[in-house]
Amino acid sequence: MGKYVIKRLILMVFTFLIILTMCFVLIKLLPLPAVKSMGRDVKLVLARREAMGYNKPILVQYGLYWKHLFQGDMGLGEQMYYGLEVVDVFFTKLPYSVVVNLYSILMAIPLGLLFGIYAALRKNHWQDHVVSTMVMLFISVPSYVWAFLVQYILCYKTGWFSLTVASRETTEFFSWAMFKSMFPAVLSLGIYTIAGLTRFTRAELSEVLTGDYLRLARTKGLTRSQAVVRHAMRNAMVPILPMILSEFIGILGGSLIIESVFAIPGIGALFVQSVNLRDYNFFMADTFFYTFIGLLSGLVIDLSYGFIDPRIKMGAR
Amino acid sequence: MKNMKKLLALFLALALCASLLAGCSGNGSGDSQATESAATESAATESAATESAAAETSTEETSATESAATEESTEGAEIVAENVEAAVEYPAFNVGEVEANLGSSEGGEVNHTAFAGEAGKDYTDEAVYTLNDVMTATTSLNWNPLSWETSDDSMMMSYLTMGFYEFVLNENKDGWAIIPEMAADYPVDVTADYVGQFGVAEGETGKAWKIALNPDAVWEDGTPINADSYIYSYQNLLDPAQLNRRADSLYAGEAAIVGAKAYFYQGQEAFSPLGMTTSEYLANGSEEDLYLDPIGFWNAAGYVDAEGNEVPAYLPISDETIYSQDGTDAEDKDPFSAKSLYEEYFAPGMSYEDYAADYLGTVEGYPADASFDSVGILKTGDYELTFIFQAPISDPDYYVPYYLPMYLVKEDMYEALKVEQDGRISTTYGTSKDTTASYGPYKLDYFELDKQITFVRNDNWCGYKDGKHTGQYQADNVSIQVIDKHETQLLAFLNGEIDFVSLQQEDMEKYASSEYIRYEPQSYTTKLTFNTDESVLAERGTQVLGNLNFRKAFSLAIDRSTFAASYTAAGSAGYGMLNYMYVYDPFTGASYRNNDAAKAALCDLYGLTYGPDGDFDDVDEAYDAITGYDIEQAQQLMAIAYAQVTSDGTWDGTTPIKITLSVYQSDDIYVKMFNYLNDALKAACAGTGFEGKVELTMKADADYYETMYAGQTDMIFSTWGGSAYSPFTLLYECYCDAGINSDPNQMEYGFDSNAVEVTMTINGKEFTQSLQKWALWMDGDENTVLTSNDGSLTLEAFGNYDADTKCAIFAKVEYVYLANYVNTPIYYRNVGSLVSQKGDYAVDEYVDMVTFGGIRYYTFNYNDEEWAAAAGSLTY
Repeated sequence: MGKYVIKRLILMVFTFLIILTMCFVLIKLLPLPAVKSMGRDVKLVLARREAMGYNKPILVQYGLYWKHLFQGDMGLGEQMYYGLEVVDVFFTKLPYSVVVNLYSILMAIPLGLLFGIYAALRKNHWQDHVVSTMVMLFISVPSYVWAFLVQYILCYKTGWFSLTVASRETTEFFSWAMFKSMFPAVLSLGIYTIAGLTRFTRAELSEVLTGDYLRLARTKGLTRSQAVVRHAMRNAMVPILPMILSEFIGILGGSLIIESVFAIPGIGALFVQSVNLRDYNFFMADTFFYTFIGLLSGLVIDLSYGFIDPRIKMGAR
Repeated sequence: MKNMKKLLALFLALALCASLLAGCSGNGSGDSQATESAATESAATESAATESAAAETSTEETSATESAATEESTEGAEIVAENVEAAVEYPAFNVGEVEANLGSSEGGEVNHTAFAGEAGKDYTDEAVYTLNDVMTATTSLNWNPLSWETSDDSMMMSYLTMGFYEFVLNENKDGWAIIPEMAADYPVDVTADYVGQFGVAEGETGKAWKIALNPDAVWEDGTPINADSYIYSYQNLLDPAQLNRRADSLYAGEAAIVGAKAYFYQGQEAFSPLGMTTSEYLANGSEEDLYLDPIGFWNAAGYVDAEGNEVPAYLPISDETIYSQDGTDAEDKDPFSAKSLYEEYFAPGMSYEDYAADYLGTVEGYPADASFDSVGILKTGDYELTFIFQAPISDPDYYVPYYLPMYLVKEDMYEALKVEQDGRISTTYGTSKDTTASYGPYKLDYFELDKQITFVRNDNWCGYKDGKHTGQYQADNVSIQVIDKHETQLLAFLNGEIDFVSLQQEDMEKYASSEYIRYEPQSYTTKLTFNTDESVLAERGTQVLGNLNFRKAFSLAIDRSTFAASYTAAGSAGYGMLNYMYVYDPFTGASYRNNDAAKAALCDLYGLTYGPDGDFDDVDEAYDAITGYDIEQAQQLMAIAYAQVTSDGTWDGTTPIKITLSVYQSDDIYVKMFNYLNDALKAACAGTGFEGKVELTMKADADYYETMYAGQTDMIFSTWGGSAYSPFTLLYECYCDAGINSDPNQMEYGFDSNAVEVTMTINGKEFTQSLQKWALWMDGDENTVLTSNDGSLTLEAFGNYDADTKCAIFAKVEYVYLANYVNTPIYYRNVGSLVSQKGDYAVDEYVDMVTFGGIRYYTFNYNDEEWAAAAGSLTY
């Protein structure tokens, strides 16, 4: 196991470097926006680009990127968040995305599991049909539709919640007021996760429940709930838990639409904007962070199989 | 029983779905928000509106029906053009006569008496008044005075800073007045004191202006602001190591400061185009001094030599180095050398010699180690500055306060925030509360990225103590929320959380007749821009777009009124390049578009005649009748275009033509716009050989401007606008800019404004020049000199003529540009906004230069406490 982890970590470093290099080269291959500025001196813009080294060979630029990186400098925003430290922007926005997504998952996991188990246990009964219909509805309708419905009904019509997430100017980040203001966004985000988890849990558990060993357990005298909890759930969780883990990792990515609807200053749009606006520093900072998280999460998920089901040995021949 | 349960479950599930769906459709705005959400950015930003859309809808529906009827009536009828002449890519134009008169440099009279403001709820009132505004994002927000760029940046600055002079509402609230703020008095012409210095010649006036500074001005922490504060700021603005984004405002344009460019570019070289033919230049100059712009002329950006070195911005004409797409001299890699280009195109007598004006030039070096003393911004007293401009400022009472560059940063803070890396100095000044220093009526109290900006009253602002602003700036606080989605903004407005919201097209049905709606015209015209590069179009299979009659026919098939009313929030039908916002006489506020010459140009373009032999009594009547829509003429022109493209082999007459319209995104509003244009094109083709063979396809492309600049699409919606007080610079800078040493502004790919010959008779003498050269001359380019065909008359600089002459000449050239149909104006952009009942602007109707009076004159009907109780229950 230890060997396996070390091997994976070494491979991770290589993969990380390859992805980073590829992304750097690819973004640099994209043409910069044409310089058009009515009545202005376009040479000034070109001079700025020259001074920032944009005209140097890409490999030289890549070398400079690493040089600055080793000095702890990821640069300032140029095309977006002009003059701001890229790292500062990133870590100012990240907490909003993380917290909203975290609340959403914490709400979605128990509900998703509960509905999934219930539907599996009541398979082909009307309860199962209701749950399955709701699941289809929640999965099929785009999340922004739910977001607008939630906002319109819970925030505007009833006035129970604020239309947008509160600012840190008016309340602490981890406060009831902030949580309350985040709830509509959390709910909008959670709907899809609840539905997904319900469907997955129902499918896995339904399959497990038909297993011979479960019938054996019942014939040996276990009650239905004992058989389900002790045997069926443990086996069903093997594919479910990695799914839950990946949901947790996904929270770092933010949500473009939900953040936009509820005015959450998160990082959902940062990556796309950095590509569209060709802000190299932001793009590379995002790439650096997400590549690292992505690779690490892959490792964690793989290792998690071994913890959930001791029969699965990572790295075993 | 079991089956009953199943049925019940099914019924319940269906009922649940049905009720949810019913809930969706019942929530009118909720549902539309969902569908609108995608429509947002470009449609929102490009949406517009002036007239009451609701009032117009019925009329426009009628005209739409009529056009459909016309379409049906021509169906099946073959329209065949006979005796058709061969297509001409760029026809020559003779636009008639203009009587040119020089103008006086004195200008008109400027009003200096401002509206004092409403007495009452001013800053001495104990109740708290907060103005709640909104913006969509802070992605591009930067309020460093030396590098700000966007309108949002400008809005931030409006709270934190104050100009030397401000344009404010006049005492009658029907126009503007100019008042000193950071200046103590109005500018004084001291040109005579500088004769022999800074390029000032004996007898010149209007170049050097002395400004007395407001001695009471201080920073928010009480630090005094004096002449040294400004000199420090200007010096940093021009610091070559900082490359500040606003540096060019001191050395480019009509108000360039003497010595500023040399200081900024110290130790570097710069390319100056000849502005004349090679022969004219060589009459006094030498070939050895000549350089060529390979990127502008040969479109050689990114070309390399054999060693992989990229082609430089300019090359000596004797340079024989081969540059090509891959550094080889292979024919298909487009090889060239500066010497070969010169000999083949620019040398005296060669076919492109005229192009030398733009693409040949001299290279000027700026001495290294320049001193700031050589820059025409002088400290002439502890509280006095003198600005020396490169050229005299005409109409100085207006234009000196208008142009005077105002840049101020707080020295200790700015120095502390400087960071040096690789020889370049950057700064985080003006990016957060801690890096911001105010000298305006408000100071930054809170800034949260992409979330919240809060300003509070800056008690140290000198204006609160001078007794001149008593009825002004009644808001104690200004709170700006960042909300991206329009739908959320609208709900926040209706909840009373924000006090303004811009409306989109789909909102107009509900709010167009609201008494709280305000329409603000903008200087933008939205057009359909065509790719007309025949070789590129041939590869795309859309070569018909290269045909002038085809493009004109397409234009005539578009009913602009219907389009504007149906697909924009407040836009009005647009027929010309410039809309009504452009003012040619600042003293009277006279709009170029309302000038008789400008009206006549559009009447000519759309074929409306007036006068004794015309269809209308006068130009006003004819102008009012313009619709830009004539489906019968469109079909006739299509038939001609068909005959031309099939006879000259441009198109085989059978291959289907799919013209791509690239749009920002494929949301609902764009789909509707696309469908309308597709129908219009099909209607124009009906009955002609094109029928059933031409159609539009839509392609979503967030980078559609870049795509068009690269010639990789057929057409786009494009929107240009400029400074409302510089109407005559727009033609070159937006539409004929060949991009000397840079990427061109001109978006109409393939259009060569140098190839369009325009003859105009001025004061009895014929002048024949290219469209580009006319445009360049009107842009104020000092290198462009226009001489009559017989050589007997040389025109003065365009700026020296009186306003009517300028309008007359510009209108004729505007006509020529439009008559090439490389773009076709569709609508003039306007913004319709709801204003909350919390307060009132000083005026309800838009006033030139000061809009509705701004926050300076905004008055409150509710204080914060009262508003909290009332908001949300009010209707709009």
